[in-house]
Amino acid sequence: MRDGSDGMAQARRRFLGGLGLAAVAAPAAAFEADGSTGGLPPRKETEAEKRAPRYRETDHVRVFYRTNRY
Amino acid sequence: MARLKFLCDSDRCIECNACVTACKNEHEVPWGINRRRVVTLNDGKPGERSISMACMHCTDAPCAAVCPVSCFYGTADALVLHDKDLCIGCGYCFYACPFGAPQYPKVGNFGGRGKMDKCTYCAGGPQQDNTPVEYMQYGSNRIAEGKLPLCAEMCSTKALLAGDGDIIAGIYKERVQQRGFGSGAWGWRTAYKQELSV
Repeated sequence: MRDGSDGMAQARRRFLGGLGLAAVAAPAAAFEADGSTGGLPPRKETEAEKRAPRYRETDHVRVFYRTNRY
Repeated sequence: MARLKFLCDSDRCIECNACVTACKNEHEVPWGINRRRVVTLNDGKPGERSISMACMHCTDAPCAAVCPVSCFYGTADALVLHDKDLCIGCGYCFYACPFGAPQYPKVGNFGGRGKMDKCTYCAGGPQQDNTPVEYMQYGSNRIAEGKLPLCAEMCSTKALLAGDGDIIAGIYKERVQQRGFGSGAWGWRTAYKQELSV
């Protein structure tokens, strides 16, 4: 009888412990989707690289233009 | 130098939302944010029009004008990008934007919105091209791969055009010559001003 009540108490502790962990982990997960780097090291471009032209008229782009004329 | 623009041919848009889905999937956009949306005017009535809307990368971008931390910057090909490490989520850009482009990932009890998220023209952000950290913050960088925004490339009816403004305007002009003038290049007069007035 005593063993059974101990087992229930341990299960209750595990359950409550899990609840506490979830309370900490949920805001942390929300922060990840918040526009942060998600723990990854930042690799910033220089000011010149940021403003440099990014567009290139590749074959892929020319195919897009051609098919849009149909 | 090319000036990158979007053009939605509303005579062709069938409101399938493939552009919205493609964008969300390509960039793993957080739940609750749509960088692109399809807006239908006079829905269900004769003559209804659908327009696929995202950031238009305006010439004189109002979002950049009101940003208190100057997190916006323009590229040489006229894309309006922003730095999420500087953004404080104040929401001014949302109020300033005539197209409702800026989005926020959170709704907090004390007004916290999280860092602003918007269309990057599939050109990433100020992190180095195609790095994991750039993908985490801004999504994929198709422009660096020599491609165009996926929303336009995915469009089944070729309603959404993207790329060099002169070329896509030429494509649209050919269409108008063949079928007659419809609703016009929606949003161009607002987004791509030729003359700036202060």
